Amino acid sequence: MRRAVALLALIAAACAAPQPAPVGEAPPAPPEPAPAVKESVAIAGLMDSARSDAAAGRLAEAAATLERALRIEPRNPRLWQELARIRLQQGDFPQAESLAQRSNSWAGGDGALRAENARIIERARAGQR
Amino acid sequence: MPYRGRIVRFLGYAVLAGLLGMSAFTLYLDLRVKSEFEGRRFALPARIYARPLELHVGLHIASGDVEDELKDLGYAYGPREAPGWYVRADNALDISVRPFLFADGPQPARRVRATFDSGTVSALTDAEGRELALARLEPVPIGGIYAAGNEDRVLVRLRDVPPLLVKELIATEDHNYYTHHGFDPRALARAVLSLGSQRVQGGSTITQQLVKNFFLTPERTLSRKFTELVMAVLLELHYGKEEILETYLNEIYLGQDRDRAIHGVGLAAQFYFGKEVQYLTAAESAVLVALVKGPAVYDPRRHAARALERRNLVLRETKEQGSLSLEEYAQARGAPLGITTRAPTGTSPYPAFVQLVHRQLRRDYDEADLRSEGLRIFTTLDPRVQGAAERALAKRLAQFDKEKRFGEPGLEGAIVVTDPQSGEVQALVGGRDARYRGYNRALDAARPVGSLLKPAIYLTALSDPGRYTLVTPLDDGPFVWKSRGAPDWQPANYDRKFHGMVPLRTALAQSYNTATARLGTELGIDRVLATVQRLGVERELRPLASTLLGAAELSPLEVAQMYQTIAAGGFRSPLRAIREVTTPEGKPLLRYALKVEQAFPAEPIYLITAALQGVVREGTAQGLRSFLPPEIGAAGKTGTTDEQRDAWFAGFTGDHLGVVWIGYDDNRAARLLGATAALPVWGDTMAALAPQPLALPKPDSVEQVWIDPQTNLRGDSQCAGAVELPFMQGTAPRDFSPCASPAGAVIDAVDHTVQKAKSWLDRLLGR
Repeated sequence: MRRAVALLALIAAACAAPQPAPVGEAPPAPPEPAPAVKESVAIAGLMDSARSDAAAGRLAEAAATLERALRIEPRNPRLWQELARIRLQQGDFPQAESLAQRSNSWAGGDGALRAENARIIERARAGQR
Repeated sequence: MPYRGRIVRFLGYAVLAGLLGMSAFTLYLDLRVKSEFEGRRFALPARIYARPLELHVGLHIASGDVEDELKDLGYAYGPREAPGWYVRADNALDISVRPFLFADGPQPARRVRATFDSGTVSALTDAEGRELALARLEPVPIGGIYAAGNEDRVLVRLRDVPPLLVKELIATEDHNYYTHHGFDPRALARAVLSLGSQRVQGGSTITQQLVKNFFLTPERTLSRKFTELVMAVLLELHYGKEEILETYLNEIYLGQDRDRAIHGVGLAAQFYFGKEVQYLTAAESAVLVALVKGPAVYDPRRHAARALERRNLVLRETKEQGSLSLEEYAQARGAPLGITTRAPTGTSPYPAFVQLVHRQLRRDYDEADLRSEGLRIFTTLDPRVQGAAERALAKRLAQFDKEKRFGEPGLEGAIVVTDPQSGEVQALVGGRDARYRGYNRALDAARPVGSLLKPAIYLTALSDPGRYTLVTPLDDGPFVWKSRGAPDWQPANYDRKFHGMVPLRTALAQSYNTATARLGTELGIDRVLATVQRLGVERELRPLASTLLGAAELSPLEVAQMYQTIAAGGFRSPLRAIREVTTPEGKPLLRYALKVEQAFPAEPIYLITAALQGVVREGTAQGLRSFLPPEIGAAGKTGTTDEQRDAWFAGFTGDHLGVVWIGYDDNRAARLLGATAALPVWGDTMAALAPQPLALPKPDSVEQVWIDPQTNLRGDSQCAGAVELPFMQGTAPRDFSPCASPAGAVIDAVDHTVQKAKSWLDRLLGR
């Protein structure tokens, strides 16, 4: 599996970057899927509860719930991003930036997720100035 | 006449003075009783909990491990009236989960059915078969921080105590409790008359017993007896029967668990029966009442027959007082003692971990508050991981002892296991006797780390991809380092040979000292030490060349912090042992939040991790092969110091990071290697945990390239022994090895990957 992912990543990289052009007809490579596009029931439930806490201004509770979810799925970039967003709301800009970067490290080819992380990082940096 | 008159007057004064004195004394006692009884707050130890086990579909855990957790929690096997039991059913566990007050709020009692399939939770439902997203068991209590005397108790309200327990207590200890005024002359007379004979009831009332425990020292003099009596009467004057009884039920000493004193019926119910006090049966509560007379003498674990006899006596007295029907009496009398079997744990079964918790807490709390305010501390300890680490260390140390016979004191060891993603400490073993609460080697033994520091040198190099890649040739020829004011430093390899030019990854995999020393001094000692610091080591290391080869002394916990940053993809998180602290009522006080900081870019971390996987795949840690399947892709490093005084192994999988140290406390040469002493302990620990594969996300700017190990040039999968290695874009060798034709290599590689990709996608989509 790990190998498969690495290989898949290799084609993705081979297609994206100015690589020595592959000779022959290579079929279009599928984009690298994000590691966890569909959340498990457990994670979805915790995320819902974190979001409703955050909406009600209970940011500390929301953060605790997201950490609980991260213990279950530490490689889920959405959870890292949600936590980054909470820290941003709390005015903890250095953590917001770091957590968004952490989210990026697991984001794979999920462009939308990366774009949102970039927004969070930008706002966090603006907040630190 | 005047003479007699003077005597009368003198006697009068004397009586008056006596009365005054008496009243003053009584007044003094009265003040004491009032102020102490009202001001009295039971010292409640801080209570420490392990992490709660969260069951969810997809969790990798065997049903046996869940059962172990339930046993740790004191769950009974088979249905009971009260929650706190489980049964096995085919490949499932039916669990009646107890209610628990978590840091995020109360969780009611519930029924859970978890189905297991090849070491994974495959389904999770409630009793009606409805799907559950998550089922959290309550956390295992793992100890406390106690006041002097290690008094432990769980406070209970009188309304939560079964009425029958109170009746049994009164029938046995103080028949006339509800009618007397603090002391019972009839009982006293009976006690005096029947001195020496076997009587159930002593002369002291419940009130007197409470006064004795509460205010007075245990000396047995007449004047003290008198003071006790006065104070008992005063207590009754000011407070109601119920209030006194409630205090008594919480105060009474009911047993000893090693160094921990069991006080009150709340804790005693848990300690002896593994349940909350309100669920005690008539027979069980009679056991507690029997203990009032002498917790050691009637200890139901040590002296079952004596305890049973006394319990039945209590039941008989209760029946005779009319509080138990004949039927109830017969039934209770026929019941077994029903004591849970449990190993004595004292103040904690995991003293080393509790010590770490205590130290982290002391930064934020007063020592006095920790010992008396009843704080609830939710920690990161994973009993399953802790158990695996303890067993691995004990087993291997016993084996080394037998093989080496170095005499006393024996070999020692320490283990730290963390979650690489969060930095949570999952297990901590401070020495060979995991129950010993003393010198904690995991925290306090700073020992030379040997080659464990090498990854910091190679990480420094790989952070400069223009100069260093995994295949950059390094010179492992003789090397002398001259610096002013210090003797020449001339490191040698373990095999006393020089290996000429070796690729960088091989120098690390084989732990070559001369190549590493040359590389480290080329990079600059200061730069390497800056890397060590950025990895999270706070201790100042001496900027000497010998530091590079591990003369630096670190504790196992510090080493864990250093490797943590690598295992987490370059994100540094301070190692944490605590998640939350709440008041006894569950109000959150302090959260120890997950903090991350990117200390290194993803790319060099990806490369050093690949190199550390190489150590396991083909280097000094190949021995791990017999512990973990190669698919786990574990990364690690062995370490051995001069004269083999210290044996180390540090490494990580996808879900656990572990550091193991083995050596002697007195620094004797242990004649053990990292690879043969520390590695097996690490391997045993991890193998028991069925770890997840290590899967670092590959940064976009890193490419995987096939390398022919003969030439260290580009190869392809057809080259003998070819390995796929990561490189920063554009830094891989350009030239091809003779074993691969340039065009063919690319076609081959692409075809290969597309095929793989397809089958991988197929699997993902279920095709």
